[in-house]
This record gives sequence, C-alpha cells and structure tokens, in this order.
Amino acid sequence: MKSSHRAALLFLLPSFIFVTVFSLFPIFESFRLSFYRLILTLPWIGQKPIGWQNYIDLWDDPVAMESLFTTLIFVGVTIPLELLFGLGIALVLNDVFHGRGLLRAVVLIPWAIPTVVSSQMWRFIFNDRYGLINFIFFGGDVSRYLAPLADPHLALIAIMAAEVWKTTPFAALILLAGLQGIPDDLYEAASIDGATAWQKFRHVTLPLIRPALLLALLFRTIDSLRVFDLVFVMTQGGPADTTNVLQFYGYKKTFAEGMIGYGSAIAVAVFLMSLTFSLAYLRFMKTSHHEGMTR
Amino acid sequence: MKRPLALALFSFGIALYCLVPFLWFVLTSLKSSAELTATPPKLIPSFHLGFYQSALEKYGLLHYIGNSVIVAGAATLITIAIGSLAAYAMARLQLGWTKFYLMILLAISMFPQIAIAGPVWSILDRLNWLNTYQGLVATYIALSLPIAIWILTTFFREVPSEIEEAALIDGCSRLQALYKVVLPLAAPGIFTAALLVFIHAWNEFFFALIIMTDPDVQTLPVGIALFPGEYTMPWGEISAASTVATVPLILLTLVFQRGIVRGLCAGAVKG
Amino acid sequence: MLNAKKFFCLAFSLCLYSPNAWAQNTELRVVTWKAEVPKVWDEAVADFERQNSGVKIFREIGPQSSTQIHDLLTQKLKNRDPRLDVFFMDTIWPAEFASAGWALPLDRYFTAAERAKFLPAPISANQYRGQIFGVPLFIDAGVLYYRKDFLEKHGLAPPRLWPELVEQAKTILAREQGSQLVGFSGQFKQYEGLICNMMEYILSGGGALWDEKRMVSALHEPAALEAVRFVRDRMIGEISHRGVLAYEEPESLALFTQGRAIFHRNWPYAWSIANDPASSKIAGKVGMAPLPSFAGARGVAALGGWQLGVSRFSMKPDLAWRFVAFMTSEEIQKRIGLATGRAPTRKALYEDAELTSKMPQLKLLLDTFKQAVPRPTTPVYVPLSNIMQRYFSSVLALPNTDIKKRAALAARDIDRLLDLLRERQMP
Repeated sequence: MKSSHRAALLFLLPSFIFVTVFSLFPIFESFRLSFYRLILTLPWIGQKPIGWQNYIDLWDDPVAMESLFTTLIFVGVTIPLELLFGLGIALVLNDVFHGRGLLRAVVLIPWAIPTVVSSQMWRFIFNDRYGLINFIFFGGDVSRYLAPLADPHLALIAIMAAEVWKTTPFAALILLAGLQGIPDDLYEAASIDGATAWQKFRHVTLPLIRPALLLALLFRTIDSLRVFDLVFVMTQGGPADTTNVLQFYGYKKTFAEGMIGYGSAIAVAVFLMSLTFSLAYLRFMKTSHHEGMTR
Repeated sequence: MKRPLALALFSFGIALYCLVPFLWFVLTSLKSSAELTATPPKLIPSFHLGFYQSALEKYGLLHYIGNSVIVAGAATLITIAIGSLAAYAMARLQLGWTKFYLMILLAISMFPQIAIAGPVWSILDRLNWLNTYQGLVATYIALSLPIAIWILTTFFREVPSEIEEAALIDGCSRLQALYKVVLPLAAPGIFTAALLVFIHAWNEFFFALIIMTDPDVQTLPVGIALFPGEYTMPWGEISAASTVATVPLILLTLVFQRGIVRGLCAGAVKG
Repeated sequence: MLNAKKFFCLAFSLCLYSPNAWAQNTELRVVTWKAEVPKVWDEAVADFERQNSGVKIFREIGPQSSTQIHDLLTQKLKNRDPRLDVFFMDTIWPAEFASAGWALPLDRYFTAAERAKFLPAPISANQYRGQIFGVPLFIDAGVLYYRKDFLEKHGLAPPRLWPELVEQAKTILAREQGSQLVGFSGQFKQYEGLICNMMEYILSGGGALWDEKRMVSALHEPAALEAVRFVRDRMIGEISHRGVLAYEEPESLALFTQGRAIFHRNWPYAWSIANDPASSKIAGKVGMAPLPSFAGARGVAALGGWQLGVSRFSMKPDLAWRFVAFMTSEEIQKRIGLATGRAPTRKALYEDAELTSKMPQLKLLLDTFKQAVPRPTTPVYVPLSNIMQRYFSSVLALPNTDIKKRAALAARDIDRLLDLLRERQMP
C-alpha cells in the first residue's frame, strides 16, 4: 500500500508542477496586485498598498456596475437558450436513424470553429451593407438595412446570438450523453402504464437528465461569465458600452490603461462570481445525486 | 419522438441552423472582389478561387496552420499523458484530499484568463520561452489540465479494479497496468478529453497573441487576426482562411464523434 | 612552437579588432504592423542591412489596430524585454511611454537643428517635459473629401462651415432622390478615431476637450455641448445613417468609394484609394478641402501620424538610433510617400518636385498639417480617451440621452484622473 501510495503521488507530480507554476502562481499574483494601486504609466506612484480601496472603487464605479449588469444579462439569456436548443438537438440525436452520425458531425461544426473565426464571421453576417441578416430580413431593399452592431439596442442581442450558435453543440453533447444513459425499459414501463409522449418526457426523461443538465449548466456558466473573444472582435465593448462585459472592462483597465491594480480587482470579482455559482450548482448536484440514488 | 416526418423536419432544421452561417462564410470566400461588396449581397458566388490564392500566397496561411498543428498537437499529447497519470492516481487513491484537489482544479479553471496573462508572460520571459513553441504549449497544458483531469478521472473510476488487480497479480507494474489495461477500457474518455484539449488549443487566441509575436511561430487564430491591413478589412481572404482553418477540425470531429458521444455517455451522467 | 603560439595570438587579436566580428549576427528587433504596401518597407530594410553589414533587422508583426499594438507593446515594455529595440508609436503615446520610462529620450541624437527640419506639430507631440522621445515618420490630419461632380452639378462650392455642409447635403439628397445616397460618412464607432472626429467639431466651435492650464475637463462647457448636440442631431440625425456609429476608417471609406456618400471625413491616405479606379467607383470625381468650422472660429484638423521610438531597455541604442534616423531620412520618407500615399514629416519634401507632382494634394495638405491640433499630451491619455469615447458614444448612439448630464459625469471621471497627475511632486 505504501509503495502504491508513493507511486500515486509521483503520478500526480507532473500535473501539479504545471498547475502550480502556470496557474496557481499567476492567480495569487493577481489577487495580490488587486490590493495595490499600480498604474504603469504613472510609475512615481509605485506599488502603493491600498487595502480594499480598489474593491470599494469598483462598487462605486457606475461603468463597472453597468458592465456587471450586461454580463448577467448575457449569461441569463444565453444559457437557457443554449440548454433549450441543446436539449432539442439531443432529443433528435438520441433516436436511431439513417445519417445520424452525419448529423452529429454537422452539429459539432459551430463548436469546432475557432472563436476568432466565428466572431469575424458573425461580424460579417451582421454587416450593415452586405450582411446576410439584412438580406434575410429586408431582401434587396437596401434603404431599410439595419446596423445591428452600431445600434445600442441590438448590439448585445447580436453578440448573444453569436454565442448561442457557437456553444449550443457543447450543451447538446452533454445532454445527449445524459439521454443515452436512460435505460429503455423505463420508457417501456411507462408505455405499458399508458403514458403519453409528453408525460414520458416529464416524468422519465427530465428527472434522469438532471445531472447532465446541471453539468452543462455549470461549465457553460463559468465560461459565459468570462466571455471576451466575441466582444473583442465584434464590438470592442461598444456601441455606447452596451456590450461592455465585465471581463472586457477588466482587459481595458489592465492592458489598455495600465491600471493593473484595478484590473486585477475586476478579475477577482469575476472569479468570485463564478465561484459562487459553482458552489450553488454543486450543492444542487449533490441533492439530485441523492435523489437519483433513491430511484 | 419516433414519427419519421417530425424527425426529418427537425433534423433538417438543426442542420440548417448549424450550417448556414458557416456556409455563408464559405460561399463568401468563393466570390470575386466585386461580388464581395455588392449591396444587396449576392447569394451564389461565381466560384472564384482568387481569395484562396491570395490567402495562401500573400498571407502565408499554410505556415500558420503548420504552427497550430504543432502547438495544439503537442499540447494535447502531453496534457493527456500527464493528465492520465494524475487521473489514474486519483481514481485509485481514494483519499479524502483527491476531491479537494479536483475542486482546486475546478476553481483554477474558473479564473479569468485575462488577469493571469501578465504574470504568465513574466514567467515565460524569465524562462526565455517567449516566441517558442514550448512556451505556448506549456501555457496550454496548464490551462487544459483541469478539465482533462476531471474527465479522465471520471472515466478511470468506471474501469472496474478487478481487471487491474488481476494484471498486478500477474506481475505488471502500476504504469504497465495503466497502459495495458485501463487506457484501452477508458478509450472513449481519452478521445473526449483529447478532442476538447485540441480544440481549445487550436482556438485559443489571447495568450497566443501576447506570447507569440514572432511571425515564424504564430498560430492560426493570431494569423487570421493579423490579416486586416492598415486600413482595409479583407473579408475575402479572412473567409478563405477561416474555411481552411476549420476544415481539419471538422474532419477530426467527424472521425472522433462516435467516440466522443460514447465517451460523454458513459461519464457525464455519473458526474 | 613559439611561432605557432604567436600566430594564434595574432590571429585571435585580429579577429577581435575586425569590425565585422563585433557586428556579426547583430540583430535589431522592430515592432511594426502588417504594411499595406510591404515592398517599400522590405526594400528600405534591405538597404539598411546592406549599408550596415552584419546587422539584421527582425520585424515583429503586431496586430493591425493601433489599440492592439499599444497593448502588445506595453506588455513587452512593462517586462523590460531586452529584445525590443525600435517600435512605432501612435501620436498619442509618446507622453505615456515617456512617463512610464519605456521610451528612450533621444535628445543626444535628435538635435535641435535636425528637429527644425521636421513639421512642428508632430515634433511637439513627441515631446514630454522638455525631452524628445520619438521621430515622426508620417503625419496625418483630418480632411474633408467631397464628390466634386455632385457639388458642381448643383452649383455649390466646398462648404466652409459645418451648418453649410449639412444644408448642402440636404439639398443634394433632395434633388437626387432614389440614389441611396448618404450625406456624410465619418468614423463614430466607440474607438480612438471617435475622439479625432469629435474634437474636430468641438474645437472648431471654440470649445476644448480639457483646460490644460487648470488641468480640468472642459467637456461640460457650452461650446463643447453645442458641438456634440450638432453632431448627434444634424450630422448623424439629418444627413447620415445610423450605420456610421459602427464605422472605423475602412468601412466609412468604403461607403464613399462606392459612390454612396457626398461628404467624407478621413485621413490623407484616402485620397489615393478614392482616386484609384481599381478600388473606387468614383475615381477622378473626388475633391479635398480643409475641414469646415462653426461661425466665428477656425477649422480644426486632428493630428495623427506615427513615429519611431527606441526602447529604454534596448542593448543597442546607438544602432537603434541609426535605424530610426535611416527610416526617417528624406530618401526613405520620399519613397514611402510615393509608394503608399503617406504624407512625410520633413518640410523639405513638400518642395520636392517629384513628390509633389505625383502627390499634388501635398500642397493643400501642408497648410492643414501646419495647423493640425494634437490630442492632449498626457501620460494618462488612454484612460482619458476611454472616458471620452464612452461619453461621446453613449450620447451619439442613444438619441434621448441628456447630454449635459453625461458630460458632467465624464468631466467628473476625467477630473479624478487628472488629480492623480497633480500628486506628482517632481518638477
């Protein structure tokens, strides 16, 4: 037992080294810096320790609050849509039919496309002169063409559409896995009891895919709170800051304005939000696991 | 959901939803310069390969793809190797702190990558690994390990330990047992993890942008981001490059999709 | 044996004193972006390498946008990267780079006599606290482009006042029904170019972005508010379409070169593109004029352009300077001008026969350049710009916003930022 114990620790060592050097250390640095005032372009200020001042300023900062609100809207709209569409796709893929493999591969395409490519693509689709969306809605009537990425009411919607399109396959895959784990005899038993398709869905399918649903929810929420590439390529936070998500605001503060301390505080804030959501989900998962066990 | 007509309709709808935006981009890459900026936009292009030629010759597309293959490939292989070791250890070692370690990994993967970009750059600088393949690969390994270890641990736990015990009794070392017994049985999980890591490394933009400033080693996302010239937006070349950039990924998913689905099937539900 | 030893010592010392041995494999690293016309740059670099044997110039290509190159550069400089020697600076960065200790002061190389050969505005943009930190390579300033054919057809002369421009555009639009024309195409996306566009209106109305003497924001002053209101309600509201709120230079220029806009504001580079039949539908129908103003004030063009700087952490500052001097020399600036249409920064070139015959617009531009106004020279320009971009974009894009209230908010943030500068005790 002791030797296998040692072997196990040895096996863990390489990953531990990578994670510590390239992830843990930078994270601690970020935490540390959030307690300082550090502005690159004003070096005479130096690295002044200011305690919680950055976080207090963040709370008072209307732009930060607006970007928090924007981020929450983004997460709150895209995640349910992804799960809904994902579930629909998963239900279709769960059936056996000709060409199912092909459809499965097609479904993965949006997810396989690099984010920068997909962002450029959607930027082109939303173009106000030769974009596909305008063509679909208004045909050849150029005078009625919209500029979604220039319109403060539409820009966020455009970004959310691009995000849902790209990440739905991921949700679909996880939900499909969950569906395929449901034994067929449960459905047969329900049929014998005279259940309709909808009843089967509500009482057999939904409860049993709850773990998969929560898993998809967890991963997607974490990623969604950190959305950046899409905003960076498509709108750079505009117009009028309507797509200024928290992560992008943090990027601007850290890299463009050189306000390292404040930017780090924003990153920590995003992290704490992710952490909170994750803990809540894990709590849910535990209870659902117990429920599943009693079935 | 067994009615064939409904099924066919839904399938068609899904295929449309997933394909049309990308197809539009592909069609754009086949247009001529004049058709590109036509208002209203033309749907059917004239199947002009000019943009592809331009992308390959003027913009060095193949070169970027080569770099991406090297970086993503290396990152995937090493991550899976190291991750498998770690996952195996944690699947077999039921100590209290394995759960803790997994939680830490999850927490780490939640941290916004923008904020750690600066310190990571400093570390690579000190190691003299900026503008090198190993610098970017090391970064990607660190970023992908959490999710790889999570998935692999889940799958390894599914492998019944009796088969392994038998192998050990027969005289295999732990490492041999891992290699000969566990890995083949957990193949779907490995496929899943490998594809996830590869796609992540292939798509990654931000770290690649700040670590690789030498055009010789730049990867594809950075390359495409640099296509725009000083004042022009070459949609034609961008769409051509994007098409070429995405095709290998699509092929990979086509090849591995059965494995992925089976893999997620076995693992995800158990959580 | 003694002879062999002597021979080796001699040979060795000869190697040490041979100039080539020192210069061997010396690499100079330059950060630049992907050029529109790479040939002229490649040739210039090759010439420099020929003239300085043993030296190789390594060009690192950064992203195309000014903002992104800025972020890339600051990352390297913040980490004191010794493998960065020369870099391009946008006209708004020298103060920031100087204050942060990233750019090398070039006073001992770039003498006053030398400086006098350059146009004054870009030189002052490179100065911070009495020292000079960059050498201007090309200069940009906002100009007004217009469709000569439309103005002639309707008997109009190029407008000298902004309200006049609006009226002219409305007249032409009314008479050219169904032509999908737009009166004005400019850059109003939330990015740095927005500041250039907006300051041209504000300053030509007697307003200012900030009061440099008292170090406070001037955005809430009546003149500035009026100008912003004019842009929102008249320039964009009456004669343009909302799409311009997402335009940077390429998109706004494309609208003009496709014949869809009557008036267009852009940098000088647009002249050659608009007159090139291969890329423009309006070649030969383009006019260029100084930007209009409001009554009682002078027209103002925003100063742009790029300069070359040397990193303070470079291990070869002398060699780096030689490269900078070479690239900004008369010969190379002339070549760049001829090949790319970029306006040079050396006064002498504006009298050069070959250049002025190939680029006749240079004569007209010289006056504009002489009067171009730089954006505020301060180390905190980037955060300042972000605050102003936010303010302008939100007022222009949301028609019912209270301009006065937003201006007051922006002014408050700007003042807080400027307070940080006041903390400095050093002279």
